[in-house]
Amino acid sequence: MSGGITILEKPRVSYCGDHGLLLEAEGDLALPTQERIWALNDVVLGWAGVLDTQPGMNSLLVLIQNDEHDPVEYHDRLLRAWSESQSGRRPSKLLEVGVVYGGEGGGDLPDVARYHQVDVAEIVQLHSGAEYTIFAPGTGPGFGYLFGLDPRLFIPRRKVPVMRKVGGTVSIAGAQAILGAPKHPNAADTSPTGWHVIGRAHDVPIPFDIARDPMSIVSLGDRIRFRVERLDR
Amino acid sequence: MIEIIQTPPLNTVQDLGRFGYRRYGIGCAGAMDRVALAAGNLALGNDANLAGMEFQLFPVKIRFDCDIAIAITGADCAPTLDGRSLPPWWVVNVKAGQVLTLTSPMSGMRSYLAVAGGIDVPMVLGSRSTQSRDGFGGFSGRPLRAGDQLPTVPGAALQFRDSFGLGIQPPDAVLKGGYHSWAGQCDVILRVIPASEYEQFDDASLHAFKTASWTVTVQSNRMGYRLAGPSLQRTTPTEMRSQGIVAGVIQVPPSGEPIIQLSDGNSAGGYPKIAIVIQSDLWRLAQAAPGRSLRFSQVSLDEARTARAEQSKYLQDVARLSSYCRFSKAHS
Repeated sequence: MSGGITILEKPRVSYCGDHGLLLEAEGDLALPTQERIWALNDVVLGWAGVLDTQPGMNSLLVLIQNDEHDPVEYHDRLLRAWSESQSGRRPSKLLEVGVVYGGEGGGDLPDVARYHQVDVAEIVQLHSGAEYTIFAPGTGPGFGYLFGLDPRLFIPRRKVPVMRKVGGTVSIAGAQAILGAPKHPNAADTSPTGWHVIGRAHDVPIPFDIARDPMSIVSLGDRIRFRVERLDR
Repeated sequence: MIEIIQTPPLNTVQDLGRFGYRRYGIGCAGAMDRVALAAGNLALGNDANLAGMEFQLFPVKIRFDCDIAIAITGADCAPTLDGRSLPPWWVVNVKAGQVLTLTSPMSGMRSYLAVAGGIDVPMVLGSRSTQSRDGFGGFSGRPLRAGDQLPTVPGAALQFRDSFGLGIQPPDAVLKGGYHSWAGQCDVILRVIPASEYEQFDDASLHAFKTASWTVTVQSNRMGYRLAGPSLQRTTPTEMRSQGIVAGVIQVPPSGEPIIQLSDGNSAGGYPKIAIVIQSDLWRLAQAAPGRSLRFSQVSLDEARTARAEQSKYLQDVARLSSYCRFSKAHS
């Protein structure tokens, strides 16, 4: 079961208000497509009047300096640059993270198993058996959105977000996976999420620190493996 | 130096925002009402983007340790200087030792204090804005507390010719904003551009989006506003991939009640987007308190461009008019 996601036959560009554009790629999530997104990102960042860019899953957000430019100027140019964008392997690092699945830290594991009508051990096996690639930046500095989730683990986001403890969360939603950064000392203990938290990485490294050089320990294209430390039933 | 004598939580140092670091997932932060901060800065002869203070909770008490010109803009927080009442949208010279008090506005949500030369906190990743959720930028990466001493730029004190001060014309007196045929007198009209999932919503939802009013709920802050109103639904709910999002995006979670992401909102997300508020109307949203009613008015990119030009002319006028009332830098 891998359905439930709109797959475009052709790429399209829509406007993000009056200061941005969103390019959405054709086809399903795939590494070669995402490599083209990263390549497009590097090209577009060099264009005059571009304030910032952000790769998404199969997409690129482009922000325009709209005091002197208008998003309209970039619509066709973005589609053209996408059609010319090439995929290509980049050097990447592998990060391995130990995970305690289920239990208090991964309380949504039983629900995910029930949704797929299998034992929790099978969910753990499928989730830890894959290698994930950091495809796009996440909702804040961290390990980003991960590609590589086994299609058999596809599960819709929650209809109503729930509060879950932050710090080293191992979560899935839709066809995507994420790994949460350790809790920041100033951050709240819990945060709302529509994702399903199936495990907890207790020794996850701090992914981003402005006082460090480089600030981020991971880059787009780096890979993550989850090692089963324990399964708490 | 400026000392915070009293402040509730959640008041911060902000400039017009942080751009260029989205590859790390870092959103823009920055003043919620960018027009108010920019106008305050320009009236002082500052660059529009210098750092000021954003106040969204009151009362606030501040002591100035040096002679300095200040501008108070945004919601009318009945400012007093050593007990003397000041009008809203006001620029005035303060003397070392004077105390400024701000109280809860009767209408509007956020007030801004700009100072000549700007609040001199370090530039972090291209901005002086407080990135609250990541703990950097602004003053020590956190909201202001009593006892904080905020650095100002030495020698930046500009003397206005009139010691009584100078008024700035507030933007709502000049910028007409959008039109909505169903709107009541008190409704805030937000001009919007349809977003990538607009066409996925069913006819009833699109009709409701264009005609109904939404109420700002108490679950509204610098991250985003949750709205109460008719439920919006897509014809075929599908799972979305996560994408970069911008301040002003109107997301519709499966519950059907819209969320507008704002300055401290997520930089990416996977909820369907029905429309995006144009940048020139984000300041109206920043001043819409819980309980206010909002209406969405669909406009073209051309109309959005006109709105930006009007806003930019307003800010240029603020800068020009106030320049007549200042001694030149050479003179002072």
